[in-house]
Amino acid sequence: MLDRLPHWAEPVADYILHTGVKNTLIIAGTSVFLSLVVGVLLGTLLTIKFLPIRAAIRSYIEIWRGLPIIVTIFILFFGLPTLADELHIEALRLSEIKAAILGLSLWGSAQIAEATRGAVQSIPREQHEASAALGFGWVGRHVNVILPQALRRLLPPLVSLSVNVIQNSTLAQILGVPEILETAERSTERLSIPTVDPVTLEVEGGGDNHAFEIYGAVFVLFFLISFPLTRLAAFLERRLVV
Amino acid sequence: MTVLANFDWSYIWEHRDELRHGLRLTLEISAIGIAGAFAIGLILGAARAHRIPVISQLAAIYVELIRNTPILVQIFLLFFGLPRLSDHLKFEPFTYAWLAVMIWGGAFNTENFRAGFEAVPARYREAAFALGFTRIRTFLNITLPIGFRISLPSTINTYVSVMKNTALLTAVAIPELTNTALDLLSTDFRTWEMLFVLAATYLALVWALSGLIRLLERRLALPEST
Amino acid sequence: MKRLLIAIGAAGVLGVAMAALAVAAPSSGERADKAAAATKLPPLPAEVRARKRWLIGIKCDFPPFGYINRQNKNAGYDVDVARRFAELAFGRRNRVSFTCVTTPSRIPTQQQKRVDIIISTLTWTASREEVIDYSYPYFNATGRLLVPNTTSIQRLRDLDGKRIATTRGSIYDRYVRNCFKSASLVVTDSPVAALENLRQGRVDTFMFDDTFLLGIAANDRSLKMTAHKFLAVPYGIGIRKGEPAMKRWVNAALLQMKRRDEFWAILKRNSPRSFWNFFRTNVPRPKTKESYPRGRVPENECPS
Repeated sequence: MLDRLPHWAEPVADYILHTGVKNTLIIAGTSVFLSLVVGVLLGTLLTIKFLPIRAAIRSYIEIWRGLPIIVTIFILFFGLPTLADELHIEALRLSEIKAAILGLSLWGSAQIAEATRGAVQSIPREQHEASAALGFGWVGRHVNVILPQALRRLLPPLVSLSVNVIQNSTLAQILGVPEILETAERSTERLSIPTVDPVTLEVEGGGDNHAFEIYGAVFVLFFLISFPLTRLAAFLERRLVV
Repeated sequence: MTVLANFDWSYIWEHRDELRHGLRLTLEISAIGIAGAFAIGLILGAARAHRIPVISQLAAIYVELIRNTPILVQIFLLFFGLPRLSDHLKFEPFTYAWLAVMIWGGAFNTENFRAGFEAVPARYREAAFALGFTRIRTFLNITLPIGFRISLPSTINTYVSVMKNTALLTAVAIPELTNTALDLLSTDFRTWEMLFVLAATYLALVWALSGLIRLLERRLALPEST
Repeated sequence: MKRLLIAIGAAGVLGVAMAALAVAAPSSGERADKAAAATKLPPLPAEVRARKRWLIGIKCDFPPFGYINRQNKNAGYDVDVARRFAELAFGRRNRVSFTCVTTPSRIPTQQQKRVDIIISTLTWTASREEVIDYSYPYFNATGRLLVPNTTSIQRLRDLDGKRIATTRGSIYDRYVRNCFKSASLVVTDSPVAALENLRQGRVDTFMFDDTFLLGIAANDRSLKMTAHKFLAVPYGIGIRKGEPAMKRWVNAALLQMKRRDEFWAILKRNSPRSFWNFFRTNVPRPKTKESYPRGRVPENECPS
C-alpha cells in the first residue's frame, strides 16, 4: 500500500510513522509508567488518617488536575531553568521532551491517585479487619491484601488514562518535540515553499501543502491507536462488575 | 531567592489590558463551549439512552471519533480542513475556537448524560407508565430531572475540561489567555511573572467553577433512595 | 675539492628538502589544528574542542532556513552554515549535533546550555541583545507583505484597521503593535498557520520575511507581495553572554565565509534557480557591509 502513495506523501508518511510514532510512544509510555507508580503510592497514602499527609497529597492532586497540562509543561520548561540557575541544580534544566513527560506524569499521577483512593476505599472493611486479625501491620496489610484487590479495580481507569495520555502527548507539539503531530506540522511547513533536494536537485513544494490530507491521516492514526484501547477499558469495566 | 526578589508586579500591571483581553476571550469561548456541550450532550445523550434509530448510531460514531482522537488534532483539522471543504465554511477564528471545544465537550457530555439517563432506576419509569404518562412526558418529568442530577459530577468534569482546553487554542492563533502570556514571555522574557499569571488564573477559574457547581449539586442532591 | 663542494651542496639541498618535507607533512592527529591554522581562525572554545563536535540549535519547521528534508535530515541555509562551522572546526561536516528549536524555546534552550550557539533565523532586537550576544550578521532579511491580488492595500499606511497575520515573538509582531495600533494582529506559532489565515480570508495580509513569502507568492497565483520593504534587520547567530572565545571564533568564521563568498553558494544550494536574483542582496558578499541597527529600535520606527 505504501508504494502507491503520491510522490509528496512518501517522505511525509515515513517521517510521521518512524520518527513521530516512536516519540509519541516514548512520551506516552514513560508518562503512563510514572503516573502509575507515583499515583498508586499517593492514592494509597491518601487513605491514611494522618491529616498533614492527606492535605499535602490532596493539594498535589488539585493543583496538577486543576491546571491545563500545557500550562504545567510551560512551567516546567520555561520556569524550572531559572531555578536551576539559582540553586545550581543542572537536573532542573529539562529538555522539551522531558518537560512534556514530567508534565503529563504530574497530571496522570493525580488522576491515578484519585482513582486509587476510590479503589482502596471500595475494599470492604472486612478485608482490613481479617488481615489485621491475621497479624498484618498497616504496610503488610496494604501490600499483601488490599492493593492486589484494589489494583484489579484500577485496571479500567488505568487503560482509560493511557488513552488520555496518548492523546495528550500531542501537547508536546507546542514545544516542538517531534511526536506525531509535530512531524506532520513540519512536513506541511516543508511543503509550503519550494525547497531544493541536495542530491536530485528536484524542487518540491509551494502550491498545495496538503495540510488537510496530512492532518486527516494523523486523525485516523490516533483513532486506530486509541479505539481498541477504549474498547479494552470498557470490556474490563464490564468484567469487573462481578 | 532572587527569583522572588526580582518578581516584577509592575510588568503584570503594565500589560493588564492585554492579559485581561486574553482572559475575556478564554471565558467567552468557554461559556459558549460549555453551553453548546450541554445542549449537544442532553439531546444526543437522550437519543442514545432511548435508542432512537439513526440518531443513536450517528451519535455513537460522533462520540467515538471525538473521544479517540486528541483535541489538538481536532483543532488543527477544523482550522485547516473545514475551509477547504467549501467557501461557505470560512468562518472567523473565534467561531472555529468555540466550535472546536464545543464539539469535543459535546461528545463527552453525550456519554455522561446517556449514563445518567440509563441509571435512572427502571421502576420510576415503570411507575410513570403505569400512571399513564406518555414516553415523552416520562422523559421530561422523570428521566430528565433525575438523570440530570445523576450525571452532575461527570458533566461538571467535562465543563471544567472544556475551559482548560481553551488553552490549547494558542496553537492556532486565538489570542486567549495562554497565547497572550506566551507571547509576552517570548518577547520580554519575564518568565515567572507570566507563568504566575497563568497558573493563578487557571487554578482560580477551575476551583471556582468546580466549587460553584458542587454547590449546585448539593442543593440538587437526590434524597437517598429507599 | 670540487667533489667536496658538490657533496656539501647536495647535502645542503637534501637537508633543506627534508626540512621542508618535515614541515609540510603534518601528522594525522594534527589535521584539525592544521586546518584551523591554515584558515587562520582563533582557537575553538574549550568545551567545543573537548567534545569534538558542535551542538547547534536550528529551526526544523522553517524552510528555507531550517527544516527536515525528504531524506529526513536537517536542511536549509542555517543548517548549511552550521555544517560549515563543523567543517572549519573539525574538518568534517558531520561533527555537529542539531537540536530543533522554536521561536519561544530557542533562547531558553541556549541559556540552559543544551546548545553552544543558535542559528535559527534570529533577528536582531535590542531587547534580545540584553539577554544574549549576537554574532556578525549572516543574512539580511527584509519584511514584506503578502496580500491577495484583490487587495486594497497600496501603502504601509493602509494597514491601519486591517487584520495582519505574523508569527509569535517576531520583529513584525512588535512592529505592528507599535506602529499600527488600530490594526488587529493575529499571531501564530508557525508561518504556515499564518499563511492559512491569509488564504482563508481571516486576515488581510501576512507580514513576514521575504525569503519565505517569495516561495509562496511564486507558486500561488492568487497571492502577491507588495513592493514595500521594511524592517530590514539582519539575522545573527545567538551566543551566550560572557563567552568571548565563542564569539571570537564565530565572528572570525563568518567573516571568512563572507570573504570567500560562501554565503552566496549556500543560498544557491537552498533555493530554486528562479529565486537567486531576488535574494542576491540578502546574503553577505565579499564587498557588502552588514550591521545591526544598534542605537535604533527599528520596530518603533513607524512610517510617518
